[in-house]
Amino acid sequence: MEIKRREFLRLFGGLSGSFLFVGCGLDDVLDIPQSMIEQARRGPGIETWQNTICGLCPAGCGTRVRLIDDIPVSVKGNPVYPINRGGMCPLGLNALHSLYHPDRLKGPVQRKGTPDHATWESISWENALSQIAERLVELRVAGKPHQVAFLGHEENGLLKQHFARFMQAYGSPNYFQFAPSQNTVTPYSLLQGHLTLPAYDFLNARLIVSFGSNFLEEGSSPVYYTKVYSHHEEQQTRYVQIESRHSLTASNADQWIPIRPGTYGALALGLSYVLIREELYDREFVRSKTFGFEDRVDSSGVRHVGFKNMVLGNYYPERVEELTGVPSPVILQLGRELGNAHPALVVGDQGAIDNTNGTFSTMAIHSLNALLGNFEREGGIFFVDDPPFSRFEPVQSDVVARDGLKQSPIGISEGDVYPFTRFSIEAFTKNVLSETPYPLSVLFIRGGNPLFESLNRSKLAEALKKIPLVVSFDSILSETSEFAHLILPEHHFMERWDAISAVDSIPFAHVGIQHPVVQPFHDTKQVGDVLIGLAQQVGGVVGKAFPFSNYEEELKFAMEGVYKSGTGAIAAGGAGSLWIQYLQQRGWQIGRYSSFDEFWDRLVGQGGWWNPIRKRKNWDVVFKTPSKKFEFFSQTLKKALDNLTNQSGGESGTAQNYERVLNRLNISARGDTVFLPHHEPIPHEPDMLFHLVTFRVLPVRDGQGAALPMMQELFGHSANRHWESWAEIHPETAAINNISDGDWVLISSVVGSLRLRAKITEGIMPSVVAIPFGLGHTSLGRYAKGHGVNPNTIMRNLYDQLNGKPALQATKVKIARAT
Amino acid sequence: MPKWAMVIDLDKCTGCDACAVACKMENNVPIADPAEAQSGRAMFWMDMMTTTEGAFPNTVTKRVPKPCFHCDDPPCTLVCPVGATYRNPEGLVAQIYHRCIGCRYCMAACPFTAKVYNWYDPKWIDGAEVGNPDVSRRMVGVVEKCSFCSHRLMSVKETAHREDRPIMDGEYVPACAESCPAEAIVFGDIENEESRVYRLSRSYRVMRYGEDLGVKPKVYYLSRRTET
Amino acid sequence: MKPENIELADKDETLFRPIYHTGTGFYVTLGILGLILLWALYMYVMQVRFGLGMTGMNQPVTWGFYIVNFVFFIGISHAGTLISAILRLSKAEWRRPITRMAEVITAIVLAIGGLHPILDLGRPDRMMNLLEAGRLQSPLLWDVTSITAYFTASTVYLYLPMIPDIARIRDRGGKFKWLYAFMAWGWQGTEKQKRVLNRAINILMVMVIPIAISVHTVISYIFSMTLQPGWHSTIFGPYFVVGAIFSGIAALLIVMIAFRKVYHFENYLKEIHFQYLSTLLLIMSLIWSYFTFSEYLTGVFGAEPHEMHIILYKFTGPFAFYFWGMILCNFLVPVIIISFKKLRTITGIFIASVAVVIGMWLERFIIVVPSLANPRLDVPIGIYVPTVLEWALFAGGLAVFVMGFMIFSKFFPLISVWEIEEGRTHGRKEVENRIESYLPGSS
Ligand SMILES: Nc1nc2c(c(=O)[nH]1)N[C@H]1C(S)=C(S)[C@@H](COP(=O)(O)OP(=O)(O)OC[C@H]3O[C@@H](n4cnc5c(=O)[nH]c(N)nc54)[C@H](O)[C@@H]3O)O[C@H]1N2
Ligand SMILES: Nc1nc2c(c(=O)[nH]1)N[C@H]1C(S)=C(S)[C@@H](COP(=O)(O)OP(=O)(O)OC[C@H]3O[C@@H](n4cnc5c(=O)[nH]c(N)nc54)[C@H](O)[C@@H]3O)O[C@H]1N2
Ligand code: SF4
Ligand code: SF4
Ligand code: SF4
Ligand code: SF4
Ligand code: SF4
Ligand SMILES: [Mo]
Repeated sequence: MEIKRREFLRLFGGLSGSFLFVGCGLDDVLDIPQSMIEQARRGPGIETWQNTICGLCPAGCGTRVRLIDDIPVSVKGNPVYPINRGGMCPLGLNALHSLYHPDRLKGPVQRKGTPDHATWESISWENALSQIAERLVELRVAGKPHQVAFLGHEENGLLKQHFARFMQAYGSPNYFQFAPSQNTVTPYSLLQGHLTLPAYDFLNARLIVSFGSNFLEEGSSPVYYTKVYSHHEEQQTRYVQIESRHSLTASNADQWIPIRPGTYGALALGLSYVLIREELYDREFVRSKTFGFEDRVDSSGVRHVGFKNMVLGNYYPERVEELTGVPSPVILQLGRELGNAHPALVVGDQGAIDNTNGTFSTMAIHSLNALLGNFEREGGIFFVDDPPFSRFEPVQSDVVARDGLKQSPIGISEGDVYPFTRFSIEAFTKNVLSETPYPLSVLFIRGGNPLFESLNRSKLAEALKKIPLVVSFDSILSETSEFAHLILPEHHFMERWDAISAVDSIPFAHVGIQHPVVQPFHDTKQVGDVLIGLAQQVGGVVGKAFPFSNYEEELKFAMEGVYKSGTGAIAAGGAGSLWIQYLQQRGWQIGRYSSFDEFWDRLVGQGGWWNPIRKRKNWDVVFKTPSKKFEFFSQTLKKALDNLTNQSGGESGTAQNYERVLNRLNISARGDTVFLPHHEPIPHEPDMLFHLVTFRVLPVRDGQGAALPMMQELFGHSANRHWESWAEIHPETAAINNISDGDWVLISSVVGSLRLRAKITEGIMPSVVAIPFGLGHTSLGRYAKGHGVNPNTIMRNLYDQLNGKPALQATKVKIARAT
Repeated sequence: MPKWAMVIDLDKCTGCDACAVACKMENNVPIADPAEAQSGRAMFWMDMMTTTEGAFPNTVTKRVPKPCFHCDDPPCTLVCPVGATYRNPEGLVAQIYHRCIGCRYCMAACPFTAKVYNWYDPKWIDGAEVGNPDVSRRMVGVVEKCSFCSHRLMSVKETAHREDRPIMDGEYVPACAESCPAEAIVFGDIENEESRVYRLSRSYRVMRYGEDLGVKPKVYYLSRRTET
Repeated sequence: MKPENIELADKDETLFRPIYHTGTGFYVTLGILGLILLWALYMYVMQVRFGLGMTGMNQPVTWGFYIVNFVFFIGISHAGTLISAILRLSKAEWRRPITRMAEVITAIVLAIGGLHPILDLGRPDRMMNLLEAGRLQSPLLWDVTSITAYFTASTVYLYLPMIPDIARIRDRGGKFKWLYAFMAWGWQGTEKQKRVLNRAINILMVMVIPIAISVHTVISYIFSMTLQPGWHSTIFGPYFVVGAIFSGIAALLIVMIAFRKVYHFENYLKEIHFQYLSTLLLIMSLIWSYFTFSEYLTGVFGAEPHEMHIILYKFTGPFAFYFWGMILCNFLVPVIIISFKKLRTITGIFIASVAVVIGMWLERFIIVVPSLANPRLDVPIGIYVPTVLEWALFAGGLAVFVMGFMIFSKFFPLISVWEIEEGRTHGRKEVENRIESYLPGSS
């Protein structure tokens, strides 16, 4: 009927402009199995509630699903789950539409034809799995297990371990996660030696200075941080947001300090200058727990400049003002505030890290925490332990596996490109295309949508085409899975078993249990079960690595460890902070269960487990660096660069090689400064006047929400744009270019241009254009396809110097009015 | 007789829009397709007002969640020719979808643009009871708006009645308040001096829209910012 | 009696001519108008089927063309009954050839205008709720009541003075004799009948004036009873009434000039009628301008933020063209044309009248839409672009108006024959006597 109406309007000229045919009626918002419809009509109407964990993003909020006659009818936050305590984000609240999405794959499919002219044919699970297993066996027999790669996404805890175990047993070093947190850890590992992201005790801090971290909207758990933020009145917390764009976090902060993209590190160093010059830093901590602050002479008698003098010599406010665009009085004032408010916390993310100098900038930002002595104390920073899962038997590997694992990973570049990467999509693409060090035969892709996000889309597509067997687990055909040969659709999160733990930057250990609240609608499987099945078909040591009949059993086994540890408690009401303090002071545990079964039942019923009690750690655990201290002067970085220099060795003098290495890495600093937090200039494009900055909004986050019509509708509600992208432009910029609000503009980089509508706002720097990320899909179902633009498609192929993380704010553009 | 009211603490609220979606899902509010939404027909019972003020860099962005204010002297019910919108004794301003003739006079009369209209027949799958079964579906040509989740009041009342006790403070919670991650929305009986809503409504930070119009809105905003 | 009749009939034969002679032009025009009407009907059926989404209305502009046209048409309807009643009451002799046309305008336009709120309903199928559950507190119901009353009064007021003419057509014989016989109600022209008729007309004419005024006042109340800036104004009642009479006179002039030309009524509608009526138009234009000025001056002077916002939006926003067009059409054009003797020709007056009708339509638009487009709270400013559907229904309304007139002219004389005759026989003497009585020295 919708279509008829539109057709009618077209024929008879419903010319109001807003009425042009778009080809996307909302006829099938939901796709509900016929049996359910029958059940709903007949049923007695019995209401039940089930707790599970929202699976629409890695933040892992506890959610309550309301069922009438076993049909899910609504979701809300689980009030006892510690991460979100009843709160939800818009996407999570819309979860049912993802469950009932009409474009979900109904079962495994196989591609016939090229990705551009594909037809998808149904295939049975047996057939699909045996095809894959056959390939896997062949490769093993041929001694080439390393030619299999598994590209995961944001999985953490048990599932990550599961994937890793599979790859290890099979014999491939190529399990990667295509997720930012992978490389975001680099600065922390250089300074502090940790391979996880730190957690921040916002609640007890008096002042929070955020460098580009849009934690209320783009953070690892926006709901947790919203909850924390909401206490700022009682806690008297002051929030300062440093960012090029007036983001959601900036607009909720007490102060917004606009900054030129790519200069966050410089500002941090400017603040360090104020702290040092005015002696506002924690001298005791810096003296005893840090390395490289003062100038020093090393064992070989070489004099090294320390952080202090480097900062004092280079980052005086006037220079920082010139670099960052932040007025020096503001720098002085903020520096003093930082030094005088105790505790004052400094965080850096998104804006600060999404540039070619991201790692160095974040090192500079995190150094402020060291100057303030923010470690192992209230209102400070710490690293959270993993939950005490049961220990799995070590994988027994055979010769094939051992040899395979010795091969160099294909997702990590050789030599002096991105020395600190844990996975670089750019390196991966290049290696696959050039078949170095070996060709790839099978690629599993689970979660994420690399093709949609990547900055080098066409090359990645070529690489995918080159791989003989690509297997995806997507539920909805996406930009990436269009290149798969087989799609083995995964259960929706409401249909599966899983554990969600160790969500980045949540300051306590926790495990959330996902369990099937509804019978699978379609012929789908849990990805964990698929791997167990494949392992068993491959047999041998691979099969033995999984002594479980299914993933649920594995999960139960893992949780037994948590039960036996006796620590923590099942999420429940009543465990208020006072009660926990009381227990903590007495060294008691919370929660006692008579048996594992009781523990398990309550665990599944309540939604999860957490351990709010955190033991103080020894300093050598806090700082795992060579010096066991916070290293302003990163010896890890020094060692890595020395290695690179030596590798490219030769007799011809190290200095020259060293120079070459630094040039290859585009590091402009020289001498000791290279290893100290410092500001690296970002790429300069003289004829492009504006920085392009992207951001993610809550409803659509990294693009997945675009599949849901309600999220599309909400996408730009605040900018009065629905189902559509926009470009935020400062009024001055707009005036110069003769652009008014709502006009079509052309945003062009050297790579390409985008046509979209302007939103004129005082909430952005005059030299910056901001476009939300998440729309502009060419796939991902009927609602995502064809709405808005994808800013990543006009981004230059630029990456962080040290870890190859995409530099999402490094592209410069020009603006013109479009017709 | 209780009088239901809402307090929204703008100092806590981040403008995350969770309340808007919670409300749409709870109350089966239809989704507008792209052209419709872009031409101003998106339907939000809980709307979000976003304004950016102040010159760069002293920019202030205000995000104010806006449900129906359930005015105690509602100008919208006054004008309805058929009594399809009315204020009930507990202060809820209700809509009777089956009586509404779709004249949209109430929309024109509401000073707060709180009502939305079904320009077309909303699209739902035939017969599928998915969506909240407690809330009736609307049809083409009628006006709808935030009901303070009155269906929840009914079930709370039933329970309280069965247990022969009064409704407790915090027992009747609308969907938006329930899912707000900032706990910025507080709901309750403003006549009850023990209730949180009552206490918060006395805050020095309190502000109501349209106070000068004398319509007595029952949604109170708390904000440190003086003018909102 | 007969000879006298024949003599008269001969004398005013022009007035009867359209009833008996119909040219092809008539059918062609009627056909075209009929097609427009069918198109409008079809569009309306579609609207009922799919919903008001087919219009350009949205949130917050929840009222558009239908309400604008409702106010506009009802305004035009004041041409008639009100003007004719005032002229009759004031015994203006020159009224005689005008009243009938004026009253016809009222009856037709009122029917069209009264239909518009129904076009605007999202659920026309539930219209009966107005009777079953009607709330008298709602200004919309006041409207329903007053428009019904006005429609009843004005049709009766149109009909009663037609009776002698209908009887005459009956007596002349020809087609539809039964109809005329029925409608003539046994009129024989006896003294008693004349006396009764005159009394009835006199009573009605006194009654109809307050009803007419109430109608437009009540329509203004739809807006002014709300708290919306730009609407919540105390002078809206008289302002609307003045505007209504203003547009009514203009419409009357257009109709007079049109039929004078088409049916060769030059003998009846003379320069003097146009001079008088256009003077009236000039006066109304000035009064209207005075009201407009007061309305905006108080707004600007008080400068209450919301009010001011809307005023500025009207002056400079996307509808500024409508606003300044309104000032041009309602003030500049008529005042200039009518004040200068040289321009005050029939053509000039015609142009002025057309301008005023357009201007008054713009005025209705500028009252309804900008206030809605600029809500009090910080929600996005509305847009409103009418769709083809709304234009179709507008065109349909105009087509019905013209068709109504055309068809009426084929059944009844457009100028009251017996009143002309009465003017000839009694009028002159009466006026003489009246003038005598004004003059000093008489008793
Ligand atoms: N400009 C800019 N670009 C960015 C970012 C940014 O901040 N700015 N953010 C980046 C980040 S952090 C990320 S993570 C990426 C992610 O961006 P996306 O990859 O787009 O988002 P995801 O939600 O991780 O993955 C979407 C896919 O997962 C599928 N999916 C959802 N649930 C399941 C399931 O249970 N099983 C299976 N098999 N598939 C499922 C969806 O249907 C869809 O195909 O975007 C990145 N891109
Ligand atoms: N409201 C809201 N909540 C969210 C999200 C959201 O978008 N909105 N996102 C959720 C997700 S998915 C995440 S990751 C966290 C945000 O976690 P954060 O760490 O705060 O995300 P960013 O650092 O901004 O992501 C920066 C970019 O790294 C990029 N990247 C791309 N390719 C690679 C690669 O090959 N290797 C590595 N290492 N990085 C790559 C991604 O494109 C991503 O855009 O928060 C989660 N919660
Ligand atoms: S942040 Fe939103 S999408 Fe992510 S887990 Fe929580 S509710 Fe789900
Ligand atoms: S859910 Fe809460 S924090 Fe989010 S916008 Fe609504 S009121 Fe504000
Ligand atoms: S806010 Fe508007 S719709 Fe709600 S009660 Fe008040 S006037 Fe009526
Ligand atoms: S639209 Fe419905 S509720 Fe509103 S005034 Fe008209 S009849 Fe009443
Ligand atoms: S009270 Fe209920 S109906 Fe009103 S906005 Fe909140 S969720 Fe929506
Ligand atoms: Mo992510």
